[in-house]
Amino acid sequence: MAYDSDLSFNYFGPTKIVFGANAARDVDIEMGTLGGTRAVVVTDQGIIKAGLVDGITACLGGRCAGVFSDVPQDTGVEVVNAGAEFARKNGADIVVSVGGGSVIDTAKGMCILLTEGGTLRDFNGVQLLSRPQTPHMVIPTTAGTGSEVTNAAVIMDKEMGQKRLLVENFNVPRMAILDPKMTEKLPPLLTASTGMDAMTHAVEAVHSIPHEPLTDGLALHAIRLLYKYLPVCVENGSDLHARGQVQIAATMAGWAFGNAMVGIVHAMAHSIGAVAHVPHGIANGILLPDCMEFNLEDAADGYAMVAEALGVREKGMGDSDAAQAAIRAMREFTRKIGHPQKLSEMGVGGKDIEKAADMSLSDGSIVNNPRIVMDSAEVLEIFRKNM
Amino acid sequence: MPIKAMTQEWMDAYKAAIQADPEYKGLAKDWEGSVSLVVNPDPAKNVPEPIYLFMDYWHGDVGDFVVCDKEKADSAKFVMTGDYARWKQVAYKELDATKALLQGKLKMKGDLPYVVRNIKTVNKVIDILGRVDTLWPDDDHK
Ligand SMILES: [Fe+2]
Repeated sequence: MAYDSDLSFNYFGPTKIVFGANAARDVDIEMGTLGGTRAVVVTDQGIIKAGLVDGITACLGGRCAGVFSDVPQDTGVEVVNAGAEFARKNGADIVVSVGGGSVIDTAKGMCILLTEGGTLRDFNGVQLLSRPQTPHMVIPTTAGTGSEVTNAAVIMDKEMGQKRLLVENFNVPRMAILDPKMTEKLPPLLTASTGMDAMTHAVEAVHSIPHEPLTDGLALHAIRLLYKYLPVCVENGSDLHARGQVQIAATMAGWAFGNAMVGIVHAMAHSIGAVAHVPHGIANGILLPDCMEFNLEDAADGYAMVAEALGVREKGMGDSDAAQAAIRAMREFTRKIGHPQKLSEMGVGGKDIEKAADMSLSDGSIVNNPRIVMDSAEVLEIFRKNM
Repeated sequence: MPIKAMTQEWMDAYKAAIQADPEYKGLAKDWEGSVSLVVNPDPAKNVPEPIYLFMDYWHGDVGDFVVCDKEKADSAKFVMTGDYARWKQVAYKELDATKALLQGKLKMKGDLPYVVRNIKTVNKVIDILGRVDTLWPDDDHK
């Protein structure tokens, strides 16, 4: 693929990655490298029940400043405020999050409040911070969000009736420990849907307007790894090699979209998630192929690279044919991993998609989509195809 | 005759240019609320002090366009802050404002989704800004 001759970009990816089975046991040693002496562990009840936190608090020993586990599925302003208060009271100087997207985003919000004081409502905007925040180590228990390496967090503000988006380069996690053991117990559907979130990050990073060679490299290798190893994880969750490869892919895709951004698939998934509570990964997985179809003319060269990564570009295929082969392969892939195929399976109704189509146009992701979205009717059409 | 950037005369010219634009009124019909721009000082480029600019936009009409103090700037619905050199890049369209926000080259206090929904209006006023014949503080003073 050709890049503009006046290509210019910023790539930002300051997170240290520690990878390996049982790497989470190094949490105490690793926190010392960040200057941390007392760690507050942020997690949720489900993860505690799954037995994933005990080992970590045991390793931390006297350096554990307490466990904050009141994090719901979709975190909110008051959760972050309570978490920060808890951490402050217990004298924490580093935050260790053990969980998926909601837990990681809660911890991101807490880091800001621990450093700057105040409440989250004081930070309504983009890139408002001007100094490094309380260090944050992430131990992901899903492989998908990529949040362990991004500068963004989404936090619900019930009082204002809207989600707050924090985008802060000074608040990117300092370290992520990718331990395949932490995702071993993830059930097949959650494995498939969080994996499709990662796949969507990678594909969207390739088609998005600000994509560049670094993000393309990361995204395309993430696609290769996911295509090969995600079905293995769905089939046999305890295959730690495959689990590890999928974790690495999710983090690479996180770096890719954290810099190149995402597009229409995420705009739609965020909206249908807000309107009808469709889980993020499932919405992405369902919508991805038809959104690629929508973007086909404007992103054929990018999708042709995706086809190469998937191994479906045949000799003599032009970009457009290769792009179509990529879309076919992506549809087939979602079936192979047992991913839901229609939004109606998720209880979504006709009114929901109308509302979500309208909302999609004010989602930050839509401005990065390669095909300019003129009005909500175009988005509604894609939703309809997936009902 | 170019006008000195970020002066009241320049703000008046900018306001007049927006009012004279045939497409602006229609594009901005949904936009409500004031925007202020904060220009960080850069003594090496002849900007010794911070500069605060306040602009009031209301459903396709334009109200106050003034050089102001920090307090007034902070009262705007959206407050955008950046180094002088960045703002000049934005005016010359060398730097895309949304991209600059996400990369941390500009800061913004305010509701991002609202800006995204009205991105065409934002791009339009930046477009118009580029048309104001401007003498920048670090341009050669002939
Ligand atoms: Fe996502």
